[in-house]
Amino acid sequence: MKRTLASCLLLASVCAVVPLAAGPQKKDEIAKLSLKIGDPAPDFTLLSDDWKTVKLSDFRGKKNVLLAVYVLAFTGG
Amino acid sequence: MGDTAVFGVSMDSPAANAAFAKQINIKFPLLSDMNRKMLTTYGILKTYDVQGEGYQWALRANIVIDKDGIIRHIEGGDSAVDPNTAASVCLDLHKKQAAK
Repeated sequence: MKRTLASCLLLASVCAVVPLAAGPQKKDEIAKLSLKIGDPAPDFTLLSDDWKTVKLSDFRGKKNVLLAVYVLAFTGG
Repeated sequence: MGDTAVFGVSMDSPAANAAFAKQINIKFPLLSDMNRKMLTTYGILKTYDVQGEGYQWALRANIVIDKDGIIRHIEGGDSAVDPNTAASVCLDLHKKQAAK
């Protein structure tokens, strides 16, 4: 668990540098979160970094899911 | 974090994510939303202004979904850089579920 949390922190800190790397920002349009606590999470199927499909609904009744969304890979300089 | 599956999500390709995971030694899967479908559905695309041009990339966000498929935590923007709040939500969920 500590390793996972440490990885999360590392990923977050690397991605925190993105706005600086992206250059001047004059009119950033911040997305409005369309979902809120208590809403059903829309299902999705995405490809993992080892090219396996990961479907949110496959975890239903089995595991909670934490999604750490980051801006772009390799943006820490 | 108890009974929790952890994933990173971005619009990068699986190959880029694999190299990124290796570079910064990430131990959980990184998921690719190359067509931005999931990011759009979840409302976590942000338009970044770069040299006068708008580019849509993901907004930093942490989302916790419980075993029933219900969103139990969602935060976007600078506060999402710190995953500790999301991690404590996961621990609380685990404790409540274990007590059932």
